[in-house]
Amino acid sequence: MNIHSSRAGTKIVCTAGVLLASLLLSSVAVAVEKIPRLSNGKPDFSGIWQTTSVADFDLEPHSGRKDAPPSAGIVEGGVIPYLPKALEQKKKNFAERDKLDPRLKCFTLGVPRSVYYPEAFQIFQRPDDLRIVHEFGHSVRTVYTNGTWHPEDSQDLWLGDSRGKWEGDTLVVDSTNFIDETWFDRAGNFHSDALHVIERWTYLDANTIDYKATIEDKQVFSRPWNIEVILYRHREKNFQLIENYCFTADYDEFYPPKKDAK
Amino acid sequence: MIGHYSMRQKVTTRQTGICGLIVTTILLAASASAQDATPARQGNGGGVPREKSYPKLVSGKWTGPRTADGQPDISGHWSNTISNHSNFTDPGAGAPGDRPANRPLGPRSERAPSRVTDPADGQVPFQPWAADKVKEFQAHFANPTRDDYIEPLARCAPAGVPKSFYWHGYEVAQYPGYVVLFFSSGTRIIHLDNTPHLPASISLWNGDSRGHWEGNTLVVDVTNVNGKALFGRTGEFAGPNAHYAERYIFQNDGKRFNYEVTITDPEVYTRPFTVTVPARKYTVADQPDGWNFETRVVERPGKSPVLDRDERICTENNGGFGGVSVVGKY
Repeated sequence: MNIHSSRAGTKIVCTAGVLLASLLLSSVAVAVEKIPRLSNGKPDFSGIWQTTSVADFDLEPHSGRKDAPPSAGIVEGGVIPYLPKALEQKKKNFAERDKLDPRLKCFTLGVPRSVYYPEAFQIFQRPDDLRIVHEFGHSVRTVYTNGTWHPEDSQDLWLGDSRGKWEGDTLVVDSTNFIDETWFDRAGNFHSDALHVIERWTYLDANTIDYKATIEDKQVFSRPWNIEVILYRHREKNFQLIENYCFTADYDEFYPPKKDAK
Repeated sequence: MIGHYSMRQKVTTRQTGICGLIVTTILLAASASAQDATPARQGNGGGVPREKSYPKLVSGKWTGPRTADGQPDISGHWSNTISNHSNFTDPGAGAPGDRPANRPLGPRSERAPSRVTDPADGQVPFQPWAADKVKEFQAHFANPTRDDYIEPLARCAPAGVPKSFYWHGYEVAQYPGYVVLFFSSGTRIIHLDNTPHLPASISLWNGDSRGHWEGNTLVVDVTNVNGKALFGRTGEFAGPNAHYAERYIFQNDGKRFNYEVTITDPEVYTRPFTVTVPARKYTVADQPDGWNFETRVVERPGKSPVLDRDERICTENNGGFGGVSVVGKY
């Protein structure tokens, strides 16, 4: 018995040791794995990306429903800290989400929704800027990494004014000057024009980005709150962005002139 | 166009749309010059340029600087030098119905040549049915009574091929394997690899582009164009199965290029024809002008100034031009 249990104990210790060793090894492997870099040594996020998360349906935890798959959500702590009046607005938005979601008009999605919306986007990166071209609406967002900061007299923008800086290998993007007409998801989560978003883009490995965002809006939330999704690189053969100017769908039947039309 | 909107200091893109962006940029330029905070920039005075002739550029060697991946370095801000999209074959003449009867046009030879450079008569070689459609469009352009008489750009549609090159100014950016064209209305990603075109059943406002460099010339093959964008406010068009062979011929000093496209569509034309659009480069030495060069010059202490380019959003602002609402009818 004793021997037997002692052997079993050795086995457990041994298994645990192997597990620990392999964990260590794998973390070492992650640390040394090469990530793409620009000529200036900064991480190069160029490529076509998309999340597998269903965050766009509802950022908060929810059961499955007719118009959304179930999800534990992507909000740290689970709940978006609405101010009481804003929570009432959110509930109204939710009740009429099948009519009011700006996505239904194919409007530019805003930040951070454009990042976790379930359609691909392509990053084109140079040392001084990143251009994010979204398939949906073919919206273009520019993140300046040239040492400049938000202009004092900017207009309200659908994708905000985005200025990036590097903290080690993490791209930290500060975005302000938003218009108040975008939503965060299909469930009616919303913001005002006081929205301030701080994103953190970090490679987990050469084909995976950890995307975190802190969302701040004193007119709508009682405190800043955080979200996190993982973005995967599209590696399918010949995969490419296909323009999706879906807002033209209401009138594109009228063009071009047709030979047999009166 | 600009006069359609009231001038005000506090504007949002939602309220004003593309025209608002123009107004805003003008306001910014005006306030910058009023404050005299920056050294005077060499400018072109703003407005749509009216070059009446332009140099012919020929394909050959590239002797200018190159990008890290070996492309001729032609990145930057560009705009056409003749006129905007108001009139395709008589660029200086304005849009149909624009000209009051008491201000007749002078002789044709005093205006910029047709953008159609082959055939020599400067006309699109339309088949009779297609020529009739263009005439019909022009007759109704100023007072549209049907949806198909509205120029789709007025509804915020992408300007498409080739009109994007004579709409507002645009930015050309280069990346390993790509040349990307950021237009005022729409974006084109030109792939420089040899990957195949998209399947023919996919139909796009700006098509699907595959290109390569031959010396000073970017050669691009464009397919999958839906033909919906029209060539201007004069209504010329291609069908949904047209093929576009583009040549972007750059001057070796990097200051100009000529865009040439040969359009082939046996369903609409009697023969292929070629369009030429001259363009010049804009830099931080130029004054933003609200049309060709819609940027914001950002001074950096101790460093060279850089350019910010405004977000281009149209449909969301419900701000199509020409008095035609995006959601309205006519």
